[in-house]
Amino acid sequence: MISIDKLCYNSRLRYENAGEKFAFAMVTLCICVASRSIAVACIVLAVTGILTTWKGGIPVLRYLKAMTVPLTFLFLSTFAIMFNIRRVPLDLFALPIGSWYLTASRSAFLYSVQLILTALSAVSCLYFLSFTTPMPDILEVLRKMHCPRLLSELMLLTYRFIFILLDTASAISVSQDCRLGNRDYRTSVRSFGLLGSVLMIRATARSGKLYTAMEARCYDDTIRVLSESRPPRRGVIAAIILFDAGLLSLAVWRKFFA
Amino acid sequence: MSKKFTRMEKLFLVCLSAFALKFGIVPTASAMHIMEGYLPAAYCISWGVLCLPFLAAGYLSIRKTLKGNKSLITLLAMSGAFVFVISSLKIPSVTGSCSHMTGTGLGAILFGPSAVSILGLIVLLFQAILLAHGGLTTIGANTFSMAIAGPFVTYGIYVLGKKMKLNQKVNVFLAATLGDLFTYIITATQLAMAHHADTSFMAAWGKFMVIFAPTQVPLAIIEGIITVLIVAGLETYAKPELKAVGYFEEV
Repeated sequence: MISIDKLCYNSRLRYENAGEKFAFAMVTLCICVASRSIAVACIVLAVTGILTTWKGGIPVLRYLKAMTVPLTFLFLSTFAIMFNIRRVPLDLFALPIGSWYLTASRSAFLYSVQLILTALSAVSCLYFLSFTTPMPDILEVLRKMHCPRLLSELMLLTYRFIFILLDTASAISVSQDCRLGNRDYRTSVRSFGLLGSVLMIRATARSGKLYTAMEARCYDDTIRVLSESRPPRRGVIAAIILFDAGLLSLAVWRKFFA
Repeated sequence: MSKKFTRMEKLFLVCLSAFALKFGIVPTASAMHIMEGYLPAAYCISWGVLCLPFLAAGYLSIRKTLKGNKSLITLLAMSGAFVFVISSLKIPSVTGSCSHMTGTGLGAILFGPSAVSILGLIVLLFQAILLAHGGLTTIGANTFSMAIAGPFVTYGIYVLGKKMKLNQKVNVFLAATLGDLFTYIITATQLAMAHHADTSFMAAWGKFMVIFAPTQVPLAIIEGIITVLIVAGLETYAKPELKAVGYFEEV
């Protein structure tokens, strides 16, 4: 159903301490976004990619395929940033359209390259987190960071219910397919509407039953999940600090001195 | 005519067209989440701060509701999961590309805008981590456009339409579609504010609006139609459930 979720449970880095992974991903992500330098982006892209695929054991093809998910957005918006329609051609190149030009400037081109690399490396940081850390572990970290209890509880329940509803939705859409529910465009739109409303009805019915079941098992506003990650290790923490400090100093150096 | 391309060139062209077919023709026109790392740090923070009052209001309203009736927590979580699932399912689209609904407009009509701000934040977090739609640094901007601005417009139009005794279906359609379009306008504004390298803000805004229009305008209309169908289905079959989520009280 959700391939990232499935893969992260099989990652070899799954049992590493969740706080370490979370801190690494977030700090690296912040340095990446704040510095916007090409060198930093390339290093981060390589390091997180290697960690996720080689250390974590995620198949490289699956990883690359996941990297293409945000590409549509990336292409469309970078296209919008780079190209201009003007009466006067800019310095990189210009395609004449009537009396106007589809044109781009050298600075905009550089800016776009920088932006694409930053965005891709940021995505790779995000993927490092989501390909190695199951959602309950991330929620546990959030709880330790004093995220409001109501919010973390709501998130945990929502996470669980997503799979219940996805199951229901896929069963409904299979049976709609069997009954020629996607015969043409009109019927498929109608089927989707029906699926949505039935899903909502099932969800509300289910939520009532679930609360009863939870209360029967002494639910007191928190579900305690057994955290399966190792305690933090000094070596790993030192490596993370070293890497991020190096990255930060490189970013600062590139920004102010190079 | 003589041979136009050498073999290597032909191979190159074939590979290129295969790549274009694979990734270019079947784009995922999702609800225009700003991707991870696309906004500069200053904008990430300021959009996040802008969201805080709305999120706090949503949080307090949810807490008050739960104080009154504790069992509603599963219903709230189910509603969040419902919005996530609806937005992760492929909707039928005209062009054959696979596109996704926003789902927050429907949520605003069913659950009210203040609950949707918190549910939307949770859904966006899950979408970022599980589906790589949107991102962690851009979650502030995405929350503002999708979980706050869009739902508030949807809800406002919906309430106004009810007051004006508009036909229920027309009303829901208008509310969902315009809310979706408003989300798209806000996102274009966010992008233009962050990235206008060599043009003015307005020119950049125009470019973003034009470039995303072919995917977002049809998507908004389809989302409107589907929202009408879902609401109509619920009103026919699920009056008690709708009462439970507060659909009849809030209007």
